[in-house]
Amino acid sequence: MGSDSDSQTKLHDDMELRARIDRSLRHPVMFFFASGAAWLAVALILGFISSYQSHDTRFLSGVGFLNYGRVYPAHLNVLIYGWGCQAAFGLIVWLMARLSRKECTCPGVILTAGHIWNFGVLAGMLGILWGYGSGKPWMEFPSAIWPLFLVSYFFITVWSFIQFRCSEPGKTYVAQWYLLAALFWFPWVYLTAHLFVFVFNGHPVMAAGVNAWFKYALIFLFFTPVALGTSYYLAPKVTGRPVYSYPLALFGFWALAIIGPWAGMQKLAGGPLPQFMPYVGAAATVLILIPALAVGVNILMTLRGHESQVVASPSLRFTIAGIASFLILGLVGMGLNTPAALKMTQFSLTGYGFEILAIYGFFSMCAFGGIYFIVPRVTRREWLSRRFIGWHFWLTIYGIATVVVCSIMGGLFHGAAQEAYNSAWQDAAKISYAYTVGTTVAWGFILFGSLFFLLHLLLMWARLGRRSQHPTLLQGEHHGESPHGPEDDLDKLHTAEA
Amino acid sequence: MADSKKPADSSRPDLEDSTSVVDRHEGLLAQGAAQAREKQVAETGMEPVSLWVFVASAVVLLVAGGVLGAGGKLFSYNPHPQGYTRTEFVSDADTGPTIGPILTALTKRGKNIYAKCSGCHGSTGNGDGNQFPPLAGSDWVTGSTERLAQIILNGLSGPIDVGGKTYNGVMPAQAPLTAAELAAVMTFVRNEFNDVGDIVTVEQAANALKVYESRPQGQITVKELNEKYDKMLEGEPVDPATMVDFETLKPAAAE
Repeated sequence: MGSDSDSQTKLHDDMELRARIDRSLRHPVMFFFASGAAWLAVALILGFISSYQSHDTRFLSGVGFLNYGRVYPAHLNVLIYGWGCQAAFGLIVWLMARLSRKECTCPGVILTAGHIWNFGVLAGMLGILWGYGSGKPWMEFPSAIWPLFLVSYFFITVWSFIQFRCSEPGKTYVAQWYLLAALFWFPWVYLTAHLFVFVFNGHPVMAAGVNAWFKYALIFLFFTPVALGTSYYLAPKVTGRPVYSYPLALFGFWALAIIGPWAGMQKLAGGPLPQFMPYVGAAATVLILIPALAVGVNILMTLRGHESQVVASPSLRFTIAGIASFLILGLVGMGLNTPAALKMTQFSLTGYGFEILAIYGFFSMCAFGGIYFIVPRVTRREWLSRRFIGWHFWLTIYGIATVVVCSIMGGLFHGAAQEAYNSAWQDAAKISYAYTVGTTVAWGFILFGSLFFLLHLLLMWARLGRRSQHPTLLQGEHHGESPHGPEDDLDKLHTAEA
Repeated sequence: MADSKKPADSSRPDLEDSTSVVDRHEGLLAQGAAQAREKQVAETGMEPVSLWVFVASAVVLLVAGGVLGAGGKLFSYNPHPQGYTRTEFVSDADTGPTIGPILTALTKRGKNIYAKCSGCHGSTGNGDGNQFPPLAGSDWVTGSTERLAQIILNGLSGPIDVGGKTYNGVMPAQAPLTAAELAAVMTFVRNEFNDVGDIVTVEQAANALKVYESRPQGQITVKELNEKYDKMLEGEPVDPATMVDFETLKPAAAE
């Protein structure tokens, strides 16, 4: 009896600690998620415009700041730095605090640094639209922005590292490996690439190579570990089942750490670089399927036998969609980087499809899963509408599948048509017409879905969520079996009392 | 009060009835219902991993090895790896004769080069009547060839009278041009838009380039042109009907 009450008190203390951690982080985390979702909507509008212009060149052609050469880079940069990085910051900050079991002592600094980051995104986007973009893919923000981003990054994430160092020695969770790795890899990748492209006076071909490497390094060494850390947290947390296999998790992590940094330079295959650079890049992108298999098997096996929870829990549903996308990303990466396919991908729509699959299909879906889990905890309110969540999920799933299939398939035909060099280039552009129209329509769907997400998130931020002890589930009665654990104790107690 | 909160028997907390369990639960849940229903998972699974994961990984490794192998010599700078070398261009279209009069050869070649000039001077060589002077019927084109060559190579600034009208624009320098290109474009404008009937030879054009190189950089003016360059280019004239190879512009026997 005594030990039972001890464990009850322990559980109670533990719950209070978790509630305190969530409370300490409510302002920065909600700020990152809400402003990230707002930037996501902006990025999607820009993506719709740029995709529309790729099949109808007259669209908005009279508006100088909205021509294709400016809208397209603005679309990708806002997607990456406005939405992707900010969603990642929110996830890292919250997950590291929870996993290290430390309250955040300086939410104000994180919040201030977050505002600076947002200012950077705004200034960068306007800079691109006003014609001051740098013209280097994914680094198009005017070059004054990147040092600002690095400083702001330091003040956002250094506390997570301190929390990890100060946590009680003992268990380090799989999720923590990935998050900690992402914390170190981001500044390494970001600083190295920007120094070689903007500061050092190296050979311009090499700068183009570093630029190509930067895109893949950002995907595989920042967005991927954050998404995987979130999934490795959510899958066991929601199902209540431990991660399927620790050795497999270890294998998957180190495979990513070893393979990830090599990918990217295949963009320059056939260019005047030492041959090994593009071909090692292509081989490494093929090899990404190995960590994808390890993680995919591990997470899916963790969820096996909990199918009803996967269906009902918004977090798990988005997570499983993200993990499936990671497996598809690995398979597509293998297909596109074989020598026969590689030359079709370098100057066609295919590369765009691959990047969108990585950033949206994989990272963003995992991030949505995390956000649907975290927001009710930090706001102490439940999501308002299961319909909003359902619409967000299905519109995004169908939209992303369409964008990726259209861009990759259309891109391959496009690339093959460009190889027919004794017919006019316009013929190649005509071949991709139907696919670009499909992409535009799909961006419209995704935009529509993510507007529901933005609205829902803003309502939650305004603390207008449901005041309830029952989570918002996508299926089943609110009072039925919950994937988030038993929750009808209170009802039973009330009945007993009455 | 303090006494009443104390359990009657500390080993039997369930006998203590001074606090309402329902109230405590409600308070607890109001603070963190979401936190309260979370599951705690502290351990990590050690399930055996299927061999198929490693077999699949080995297959991926083989594919990656094949990709790396396609790179050939990895530390070479050979810009023509597998799949990146073009076969010789064979056009289906009839490209016409490869041997003909030198006038035809130069005019044909000059037409392609003139594409750059047509933006201002128009595809028919009539200018725009306002800012850009016409080439058709212009003494500057049909007159001394050295003057025309220096306008093309250096560009022109300041007013110029063409066909009784003064144009005051700026023409950018068109150099660098090779001697053959300069000869071709000059022959084209003199014979396509005008009816001069002679050709500018590659040798004459090469002499024009020498003059251009000895002159300081910068756009030329009408005054300088008329003072220094109002003469025909040095070099032996060639009969416009001489049969040449279109590729090399060297004399060739007719087929």
